[in-house]
Amino acid sequence: MNPTVLSENVNVKHVQETSLPLRQNWPTVVKRTVKEYYIYFVLAFVVVVFSVAKLDEVALFERGHFLSPDNIINLLRSAVPILTLSGAFTLLMISGYIDLSIGSAMSLSAVVFALMVLSGFGFLFALIVTLIVGIGMGILNGYLVMKLRITPVIATLVTLSLYKGIALLIVPDGLSAIKGNAEHPMPAWINNYARQDVLLGLPLAFYVAVLAIVALIMVQKKTILGKYAAAIGGNPTAAALSGINAVLIVWLLYIIVGFFAALAGVARASFMSLGDPLSGDGMELAVIIAVLLGGTAFSGGEGSVAKSVVGAMIIISVTVGMLTVIPAYWQTFAMGSVLLIAAALNHYLQEELKT
Amino acid sequence: MEVTENVLEIRNLVKDFPGVRAVNNVSFDIKRNTVHCLVGENGAGKSTLIKILTGAYNRTSGTTLLNGEAYNPHNPREAREKGISTLFQELNVVDQLTVEENLTLGMEDTTFGFLRKTDKINKMISVMNSIEPSVRPWQRVSTLSVAQKQIVEIAKAAATESNIIIMDEPTAAISEREIERLFTIIQRLREQNVTVIYISHRLDEIFEIGDYVTVMRDGKHIDTKPLSEVKDRAELIKMMIGKTVFEQYTPKEETAQEVVLQVRNLSNHKLKDISFDVRAGEIVGFYGLVGAGKTEIARAIYGADRYEGEILFNGKKLQPAPDKAIAAGIALVPEERRSQGLFTILTIRSNVPVMNLEKISRHGFINSAAERNITAEYIDKLRIVTDSAEKEASKLSGGNQQKVVLAKCLFADADLLMLDEPTRGVDVGAKSEIYSIIRQLSYEGKSIMIFSSELPEIMNLCDTIYLLFDGSLKATIPNGDDVDSEQIIHIVTGGE
Repeated sequence: MNPTVLSENVNVKHVQETSLPLRQNWPTVVKRTVKEYYIYFVLAFVVVVFSVAKLDEVALFERGHFLSPDNIINLLRSAVPILTLSGAFTLLMISGYIDLSIGSAMSLSAVVFALMVLSGFGFLFALIVTLIVGIGMGILNGYLVMKLRITPVIATLVTLSLYKGIALLIVPDGLSAIKGNAEHPMPAWINNYARQDVLLGLPLAFYVAVLAIVALIMVQKKTILGKYAAAIGGNPTAAALSGINAVLIVWLLYIIVGFFAALAGVARASFMSLGDPLSGDGMELAVIIAVLLGGTAFSGGEGSVAKSVVGAMIIISVTVGMLTVIPAYWQTFAMGSVLLIAAALNHYLQEELKT
Repeated sequence: MEVTENVLEIRNLVKDFPGVRAVNNVSFDIKRNTVHCLVGENGAGKSTLIKILTGAYNRTSGTTLLNGEAYNPHNPREAREKGISTLFQELNVVDQLTVEENLTLGMEDTTFGFLRKTDKINKMISVMNSIEPSVRPWQRVSTLSVAQKQIVEIAKAAATESNIIIMDEPTAAISEREIERLFTIIQRLREQNVTVIYISHRLDEIFEIGDYVTVMRDGKHIDTKPLSEVKDRAELIKMMIGKTVFEQYTPKEETAQEVVLQVRNLSNHKLKDISFDVRAGEIVGFYGLVGAGKTEIARAIYGADRYEGEILFNGKKLQPAPDKAIAAGIALVPEERRSQGLFTILTIRSNVPVMNLEKISRHGFINSAAERNITAEYIDKLRIVTDSAEKEASKLSGGNQQKVVLAKCLFADADLLMLDEPTRGVDVGAKSEIYSIIRQLSYEGKSIMIFSSELPEIMNLCDTIYLLFDGSLKATIPNGDDVDSEQIIHIVTGGE
């Protein structure tokens, strides 16, 4: 049948002007708004708490204060790996899948990059090789999950172990990391990418991370990949009936995650001037928490790259902020408490809005 | 393309499942631009037939011609590409996306992967708004009602130039007003050269919307005729149930037993103000269509769902929690035996005592000799056919699995057994065995509630029959010789 025939029967313009029936009651609207924006308040709250915490000792914006330029630069520099990774990871989680191997993938990439630099290769070549390794790791993860149909958690726990194992094997016996020594030093320029000030005291790696985030926000909102990720995560049956090739789409997302894990590894190696095979340990947890704080559903279907970035900033602020305020032995506990409150609030709002 | 009179011709279609011929040599035609209704009791083969047409099942034999050409889809996508779209009961929209995103899902226009707004989108939206003006393209689908979601799917099917739209129980979850709306849409679709295959249990709807009706029974095609030639509901019902000879119900001697279960004003999301009593040794049956609320009554009594109202068991108020219900002596044999009733990878021996392990344990250790003994006892008592008590439950036939589930409940010392679709997927021989077990149990003084969508089962077993429609108790019938099965079908399909 011809779709235009049907549409002749109706005055489309008139239809669009009719107002939407407002069936939502006020409490729902308030809750919805709170749910939509509370993550920003949590970040603001964290910043305010650390800002007033030591005001009796240091003045606002002075050296040593949470909002001092030094501290902010330090904070943003240490946020580079998590910022680099959280965007791509959000897309993967929106599609309902997960990658636990990102920490190991990052470690292996750091080791490969440091080894290349130490062996005398230039930055660009070392970078490209490392990114190819990252893509390769993504291809393997995608193959295990989408082709062999291994449960994502199991498949990527296996590769978590595998990638870390390879990283440890690459580091020579007796050393804890790929690093220079007296007769064969690590070139000093390895630092440039993640430490050297290019603009406003911040290094190139930071701006690359920002660029990655902007690109991934676009991918989520404007491209077919972002839409299909949400469709696959939201209702796999409907996606399949609509002719979406979930295997291809999710595989591609795994590859993108692998790529950014490698990029984060390069940043970490550059920052530390060495390739530590354990440097990415725990990154998967930090990223997952950041993405969940940002409101992305564990079960897939919905989420926001932009909000994952806010989630990542909360984690980094708490980590860095506590260094200035709280005795070291309280930090892990305080971190856990903040996350517990945020996660509980998130869960509460989601449950409330369902009914 | 040459326009044939029949849009779809079905010839000698057969579908076999292990042990059952679900569709048995079915042949009929569906005329172009008509609303063709498909009716029959549960298990008549309608769903299987539809699943063959939509590519979800592969046929055993037979042919289908679509527009005069051979049509044999291997998956739902292929069916859709050939012009047959289906509105499943499980709606296939993505809640998290907007209406517009759902409409274009899988058919987007892009430049380098970036989504582009084209005329196509506007066309689809105007098709949708011509059907239902209140739906906005930017609304998230999760904010829509079921009826509006259906409309999104219908619009998608209409915009993709479907010849045939199959609607499987489309009115099961929508309100009266929305049903009227849907019917207007169906009329409109027919005017726009779409053939609608309409499946519903609600016979009044068939008369209101249908041009032709096909009746199926026991997998066979009974008749296809214009609805104008069908006199009334009664004629349709006769075709649906045929001359089924019900196994004889034998009334018990009237002994006034005490009331065990009292349900008063039970209401929840599905149920409306339901009250009834169950006596010791009584077998009561709840009969109604899919979605009438049978399972919900069982779940409420068991404490698995929330409810308002009062449930008294042996005179005491029942706490709404499954462990409390079990402790009080109530057992539920769920509809989904494999997923909810059995530990399929465990052996019979591990399954039977699982609800009351304390009885055969000391200090937390299970007495395996006792376990073997009681399993052997139940295998014998319930005539479970197996070569060993060590056989995995998943390897038993459906009937024997059901007996293992029954053994579980009996070992838990249940006084009230609730059996939800007790013989679904069970072959005829095992069926009558299960019936005799149920009767035996009632003679031993156990109260039994049967929730079934098979009328012969209810008429054969139950002392009292409760008829449900749309969550309400419509009638209570003491079983006996004078029970009118046509009257029963009339009531549960929404008649007064």
